[in-house]
Amino acid sequence: MEENPLHPFELHNFIPINIGGLDVSINKAVLTMWVVVALVAALMVVAGSARRLVPGKLQSLAEMLVDFIRGIVLDTMGEGGMRFFPLVATLFLFILFCNLVGLIPGSYTVTSQIIVTAVFAFSVYGLSLMIGFALHGAKFLGILVPPGTPAWLLPLMIPIELISQLARPISLAVRLFANMTAGHVILGVLFGLTVSGGLLIGWLPFVFTIAMNGLELGIAFIQAYIFTVLTCVYLGDAFHLHGHDEHAH
Amino acid sequence: MPQFESHFFSSLIFWEIVSFAILFVILYKYAFPAVLGILEERERKIKDSLDQAERHRLEAERTLREYEAKLAAASKEAETMEAAARERAQRLMEENEQRMTAEAERIKGDAMREIDQERRRAVQEIRAQTTELALLVAEQVLQRSMTDADHQRLADEALAALSKSSHR
Repeated sequence: MEENPLHPFELHNFIPINIGGLDVSINKAVLTMWVVVALVAALMVVAGSARRLVPGKLQSLAEMLVDFIRGIVLDTMGEGGMRFFPLVATLFLFILFCNLVGLIPGSYTVTSQIIVTAVFAFSVYGLSLMIGFALHGAKFLGILVPPGTPAWLLPLMIPIELISQLARPISLAVRLFANMTAGHVILGVLFGLTVSGGLLIGWLPFVFTIAMNGLELGIAFIQAYIFTVLTCVYLGDAFHLHGHDEHAH
Repeated sequence: MPQFESHFFSSLIFWEIVSFAILFVILYKYAFPAVLGILEERERKIKDSLDQAERHRLEAERTLREYEAKLAAASKEAETMEAAARERAQRLMEENEQRMTAEAERIKGDAMREIDQERRRAVQEIRAQTTELALLVAEQVLQRSMTDADHQRLADEALAALSKSSHR
């Protein structure tokens, strides 16, 4: 079992559920999502209900997270972007806690499922397209033409921009999935080496797993941050279209 | 890779959307307004406190300037008053001196005049007495039969007395 580093990513349905031909069975990943929802909701609601001017530890943590996301939203989208704050903040907290909970041995890393990250990425990108067309109409197609492009370059620029636009959700999904998967694969491999190496040499990969765990903690945070920043950037692009507003970026 | 086993996709997508929606609603309703509210309230409080501190500083500076101005004015006034008092004292002193000198002169003059009067009166008195004495002597001489020698002697005595009293 230890020999296969991909083993931790395997899923098994605990409770098979079928709604109208749609398989919505409960498995480890789904349970972890529920745990994450419960954790985030508990933290934020309890901390939010304190409402003390001089915050306690829990309130400080919640405020730090909220202030952090608010900073991202304001930096990338400006004051008008605050209407997307609840969405962006929920996304950040959900991904961050999925990444962090996944680090607990024996739990499951939901964000290491490509389909999970893809749903987020394509939803965010789809939302940015909807906002763009809703706010700017057909002019939103101008996002394919960077400002200041000479007319004779258009046949070259439009396909390039089209590809870069299409790459956005894919890169967004793959980045998070790959980072989360790779980290756990490396941890799995190192643990495998520890077990198979025995006492004589096995301590060396074990030391590395400790260091890797610290690194993974950082990556869990950074990947959630990157996902959130890019979400804000895409939404901001649709919102402002070529930075009509000087607050954009 | 196990992540590409597509028969888990439907349940993962379904539960992801459901979980996310539930979390979104909970946070949107019960957490974000409260936390954002307290953050804004704190920012406002801090800003208010800073503003207030700035206002107090300006006020204190203004008060200080006022007091300094008042102090300068008071000190100037005191100087003026001191100068005036000094001048008045000087003037009073000079006046006093003049008056004293005049008084002393007057007293001296009075005394001189009095002495002079007294002397004159004394001289007159002596003359009168001398005359009276002469008359008295003459009378006595006339009452007695005198010799020539007596006459001579009496006349000499009278003259001597006269000259003596006039010299005194």
